[in-house]
Order: sequence, then C-alpha cells, then structure tokens
Amino acid sequence: MAFIVNDVDISAAEPKELLFDKHVEYIANHGNDQNDFEYCMTEFLRMSGIYWGVTALDLMQQLEKLDRKSIVEFIKKCQCPTSGGVAACEGHDPHMLYTLSAVQILCIYDCLDQIDVAGVARYVASLQQPDGSFFGDKWGEVDTRFSFCAVAILTLINKLDVINVPKAVEFVMSCCNADGGFGSKPNAESHAGLIYCCVGFLSITNQLHRLDCEKLAWWLCERQLPSGGLNGRPEKLPDVCYSWWVLASLTIMGRLHWISSDKLKVFILSCQDTDTGGFSDRTGNLPDIFHTLFGLGALSLLGHDKLLKVNPTFCMPQYVLDKLKINTQIISV
Amino acid sequence: MHGRLKVRTSAEEAARKKKEQEIKVKTYRAGMGRIFEKRKNGQLDDEMMQITGQILSRNPDVYTLWNIRKECILKMAESLGNEAKQSLYDKDLGFTEQCLMVNPKSYGAWHHRCWILENCPTPDWEREVALCNKYLKLDERNFHCWDYRRFVVKKAKVPAEDELKYCTEKIHKNFSNYSSWHYRSKLLPLLFPHETSPARPISESKLKEELEMVLTAAFTDPNDSSAWFYQRWLLGYSQPALDIAAIRISKNLAIASFSKPIDLRTCEIETNFGFNFNPDRWQPVQKGNKYDVAWIVEDSFELGASDLQQYIFKCRMSDGKDYAINLKKCSDGFYGMKCPKFEYEFGAAVIEELKNQLESCNQLLEYEPDSKWTLLTASLLMRAIDRRGYHTKSLEYLQKLEKIDYLRQGYYADLASKWAIEKVLEEWIEQGDLTVAIDLSNLNLATIFYEQYMSIAKIVILRNNCLSDRTATKFNAFQFCENLDASYNQFSTPGVIPHIPNLKVLSLEGNKFSNNATTRLEDQMKNL
Ligand SMILES: [Zn+2]
Repeated sequence: MAFIVNDVDISAAEPKELLFDKHVEYIANHGNDQNDFEYCMTEFLRMSGIYWGVTALDLMQQLEKLDRKSIVEFIKKCQCPTSGGVAACEGHDPHMLYTLSAVQILCIYDCLDQIDVAGVARYVASLQQPDGSFFGDKWGEVDTRFSFCAVAILTLINKLDVINVPKAVEFVMSCCNADGGFGSKPNAESHAGLIYCCVGFLSITNQLHRLDCEKLAWWLCERQLPSGGLNGRPEKLPDVCYSWWVLASLTIMGRLHWISSDKLKVFILSCQDTDTGGFSDRTGNLPDIFHTLFGLGALSLLGHDKLLKVNPTFCMPQYVLDKLKINTQIISV
Repeated sequence: MHGRLKVRTSAEEAARKKKEQEIKVKTYRAGMGRIFEKRKNGQLDDEMMQITGQILSRNPDVYTLWNIRKECILKMAESLGNEAKQSLYDKDLGFTEQCLMVNPKSYGAWHHRCWILENCPTPDWEREVALCNKYLKLDERNFHCWDYRRFVVKKAKVPAEDELKYCTEKIHKNFSNYSSWHYRSKLLPLLFPHETSPARPISESKLKEELEMVLTAAFTDPNDSSAWFYQRWLLGYSQPALDIAAIRISKNLAIASFSKPIDLRTCEIETNFGFNFNPDRWQPVQKGNKYDVAWIVEDSFELGASDLQQYIFKCRMSDGKDYAINLKKCSDGFYGMKCPKFEYEFGAAVIEELKNQLESCNQLLEYEPDSKWTLLTASLLMRAIDRRGYHTKSLEYLQKLEKIDYLRQGYYADLASKWAIEKVLEEWIEQGDLTVAIDLSNLNLATIFYEQYMSIAKIVILRNNCLSDRTATKFNAFQFCENLDASYNQFSTPGVIPHIPNLKVLSLEGNKFSNNATTRLEDQMKNL
C-alpha cells in the first residue's frame, strides 16, 4: 500500500494576488440579506461572525464599511444581565466563546464601556474550576479553548486578577503532550487549533518559558504540505484557518522561519473566491467569513503590505492592543 | 464551513435550490420562534423535546438547543421514579447517537452525551466503550471520539493494559494512525515507567521493544510521518533538565545562568564563602523579562579574603530543590560551569538496537537516498549512539535535508547550528580555562543556542556565520565578554547589537549594514 499524502493541487489559474476590493465587498455585504440560508443557519455563532468581519475589515483599513452603531447595539442586547456573559445572538445562551468575540469587537470600536464589564469579569470568574480549568458555559464542557478565552477576555478588560492564574496555567500545562503540543484536555491529542489556544494563553500569562519550543515548533512546521498549505494534525488536508493557528503559534515562538512563507502565501491566495471575494478553507471550495479573516490574518503575519499588522495572540490589529497598552510575550530565536 | 466544494450549477438548478433553502429558512425560523416562546413560558415539555430535536438533527451546532434539552430533562425527571428517569435519559442518548451519525464532530452532541451519563441514575459505561469502538472503526482519527473514549474508559474502570492492547491492534491495522500512537505515548509511561529516572518516559526493556515495533511501522511506508514522530519521542529528544549553567563573580559584577529560564528573584541563594545575594537585586540580562536564563547583580564583592578547599554556590529553585555548583577561584574572582546533557544516555541493549536501526536506515538510504524521514532519523540515531564520533556525518545529513525538504530549511539550519555549538561548547567547558576563546567561527550558524553557558567567557568568536538581526538579543547573555567578533555575518540593523558592559573590542565588519550605518557603528565602537 503506497502512502498518499493528503494534499491539494493548485492550478496555474488560481489567483496569485490579493483580491483586496473583492474581500471588502464580500465582508461588507455579508448579512445584508437576512434571509440568506447560510447566514440564517450560522446564527448560533453570529457574535463570532461579526468579530471575524470587523477584524478583517480593520486589517484592511475599511472598518467604516460596517455600521458600528447597530453592531454595538446588538452586542448590548446579547449580554445576559444575570450572568454577565454574552450570547452568540439574541435568544441564545451566554457562552465564553461569544463573550470573547463581543469584547474583541468592543475593543476594536474602543467602546468597552457600552456593556457591563464587571459582569463579564464575574461571568468568566464563575466558570473557573478548582483544577484551574474553565467551563465554556454553566453546563460544564471543559476545553483549553475556554482557558484561552478566559485570559484573553480578562486581559482585554484589564481584570485578570479575578481568576486564579497560577492554577489556570497548571491546568493548561497538564494538557501538554509528548510531541510538545496541546490538546483540548489532559491526555487529548495535539491539534494546531488547541496549540494556538495554549501558546496564546501562555503568551498572555507571560509563561512561554514553560514550552518546549523546539519540539513543538518542529511539530508545527511539519504541518506544511507540498502545496504550501498547513494542516492541523499529521496526515490531514491543508486548510486556510490552520495557516492562522500554526503561523500565529510559530510567530509567538519566534520560529516563523521554520516554514516556507512563499509557498504558504501561494496556498492562501489560491483559496480566494474570484467571483464573490472571501477565502475558503481549501482551493476550490466555498468561501466563508471565518476563513476570510484567518486568510487575511496569516497574510498579515507574513508581512503583506496592504494589511495592517495583526497581533498573533489576540488576532486583532496590533494598534488596538498598543492603544490598550497590552503586551503579549513573544520569544526571539 | 469546511469541505464544501464550489459547484457551478445551471440557473434552473440554482433557482430550485434557492426555493428549497427558502423553505428550510422558514421552517428553522418558525421552530426557533416557537422554542423561545415556550422557554419564556417555562413549557419544558415533550413538544419542546420534539422541536429542538428536529432542528438539532439537521444542525447539531445550535448550542442553545442542547441547553434547552438539558433543562427539559432535568424538569421532567423531577417527577419520575428511577426507572422512568433512566429511560428518559436513555431516550436522549439514542437521540445524540442519531445526531453523531450525521455529524460525528459535533462538540455539542458529544458533550450532551457526557452530561447525560453523568446525570442519569444508572449509566452503562461498558456500552459507551463499545460505542467508541464502533465510531473509531468508522474514523480512527476522530479526536472527539478518542477524548470521549478516555472519559468513559476511566468511568468503566477499564485497565490501562486493555487500552494498550486496543491501541496496538489499531496500529497494526493501520500504521498511519497518529491518534493511536499518541494514546500509546500516554499509556506506556503508566505501565512501564523508567527504572530509575522519572524524567525518562519508559523503561529500557520496553523501549527496546517499542523501537523494534515502530521501525517496522516506519519502514512499511517511509513517507508516512506518524511512526517517525513516535520514534523521535522514543529517542528522547527534549530540553535539558533544570540546572545551574554557569556562575561568575568579579569585583563589581556577578552573573548566574541556568539551563532554562527561571525567575531568580524567587530563589534562595547560599554560598559557603560569605557572599550574600539579595534576591531583589538580580536583574535579567534581557531587560523586562520575568523569566530568563541569565541574571546579573551589579555590586561590589570582596574577593580574595577567604581561603577554602571548596567554594560552593547553592540555589534553591521554585521546584523546592537545591542545585549546587563548585566554583573555582581565579585572578579576578570566582567562576564555575556545568556541561549540559545533550542527549539521553541509553543502556547497552538499547544502544545495540539503535545500531541495528541505523544500519537499516542506511540500507534504505542506498535505495532511496532522498527519503526525508530516513535521513532525519538516521542523523538522530547517530547522535544517540555516539554524538562525537558521528558529528560530521550527522551534520552532513542535515545539510542534505535542507535541500530535499526545503520547506523546513530554516528548521534544519537552526538544528545544525545547535549541534555545531554543542561540540565547541563541550570542548570549551572541558578545557576549563575562561581566558581561552570560544571559537564558533566558520560553522554556518543561523542562530545561537546555549548562550547562557557562554555568559562567563572573555572572548567569543562568531566570525563568518549566517547570524542575522533576530539572533542579536542573545548577545545580552555575554556579560563578561571583552572581545566579541561578529564579523562576516548578516546583521543589518544599526544598533541591533545590545550593550555589553565589559566589551573592549567589537568586530562587525563584513555585515550587511549600509554605509551610513557603518559610520554610526564606528562611532558607537569608539565609545566602548
Ligand atoms: Zn478551516
């Protein structure tokens, strides 16, 4: 049985330049048709959807294309007055994931005071468990994603002291594997998305020295496939969103030069939709707003001259974090 | 949002699809409207279960609906006896299974299952193990299912031996199964801990067996990475353990450096020659670091007063353990250094096996000289067997890898730099004289490793390498360096070389500074 590498072919016809205006249009029009099937069916992650759009447009310096006022109003309606957490959409339940998205949007719009910030802090603190881990919401799912969300939210609102940080660090480190990577919980397999969450978590809490960077960054650079794209685990297909998770982690660990930037750029650009704008997960697939942000974010990390500099830990424009005086740790090699 | 192919359709087809979607949107909206209305009225009843079920079976990611089902079940269960309660929970277990059939990667569905089992009166954990077997047969890489398996296996009290057996069977069915190799790396240390050293993952005898097994797997298809990753773990490449690296105390400056970054301000230091260090006075060499590999104190130290047989510097670190080093007296103070352990040291039986494996790799390379994983593993095997003896050959393999696996050229270049530095450093530490230069010239270095061990050296020669701006911060560790030769490298930003207090000679010619910058550098050097 011959081993076949899971990868894609990029034909010569695929785009090689950034379709800047197309993407602006794609994001700006997203949600204009409230009855659009895709839009309607992704209601359960609306808050994150808005964060992806807002951040992508801000990186392109086109933030005015979205209606700030209605977005802020929407966020206010999604905050739960009792728990303090934020839901994905009106009528839905508050959750750590959407609380982070809401806080990120408000930081970009420089209007955190529009929601009950103390309530947000209370909500996050209420979800920490005795072992240091975090629930995603009151129903008890534990995942290192939520550890990242917790410290990211609290750092953005300058309230990191409401949780037990050393315990939180201990839990994240208990999810570290023999390959240097991290999974969603102790003993879970390494996965680039969760590695990003844990590396980001450690960079926010100033604990990067706990990483075995050489081991982990080697595993991450092995995610690059002959097409130039990056996958999230061994033997999986490449995907634009992993360009972000892997690249951001390598950037934080000072090892961006362990993969080929040129080849990765070719892969990311090939995932643009020439008709509608937007990026898809892989060459030839349908675009969506999630992959559009992570495609642009990765290009920004690679130094694309038409995009603002993105912060690898928060996936927000660097100037926003500078304004908030938030420093995230980065290793240099 | 993943794996949806963009297909060109006729206008007719598109119109038909749009109609269909319009209906779906309407149904969804109506369902959600009814659900929210009922929830507001506290109607957590059968109808609620039914409508949430209809939507979830098509779209299991609507997380709020899973929450509502939990509320329903809790409410309904209140009035039921144990048996009826159990059947209520069982019914919803059946429902999650239906959803997982459609979307086996739904976080919501998997978590709902965990929740049911933790809340129902009589959970059947064995049945859940069987369910995992079934799902892992369909997709052996589904990490949701593997996580769920570890959760239920613990509850069902399945012995680790049985899980290892399951794992072995899975691997034999398909070697290209990273998830199984991963689970194995978790189970083996529990079942076969190392005889003496807790830092080592598994016992020597088991290690030998595992090495044999993994090589068979790797050679079955040398392009499949899973087994090679596992092999590298077995060979035990890792960071050095925490220890003191080097100490130097002179009239007005002391440096303490360590194998890993630490916060020295939280450590207790003790000497037997009357030197006291106030923890608050230590400064990291890289300003602003909370954790650093090297720390300095600027103070005046009374040297030469004491005359002892041994000068001991002891540090109690945050792990509660004491680390000590014997210092030597020199003309201007005290110094000491420890050679780091670069690799594990294996017993004779394992070494024998490693030699066999190297032999097999080399045979394979005769037929497939460009086999990436074979080249990398061969070079790692050589280092494990006889690091010094195979030094040149192992670097040769890395150079070859830089070409054939050019995507990761930067990785191999850094690794080669590390190995090259290890050799020079080891020899320098063995000779033990501080005034002898650390000569790292002409080694193709792309970066610097082990800078903390060089922190006490007087002369560091880095001439004719490929060092660039990103490495310059490492020079912060060279606190005692008086003569630094960084000529003929790739530095390009003026001012990138940090201030080194004792520096008398700095050579930077042959770098990539612009003319203008060179003049400014010369000015900077005049001020040294
Ligand atoms: Zn993706």
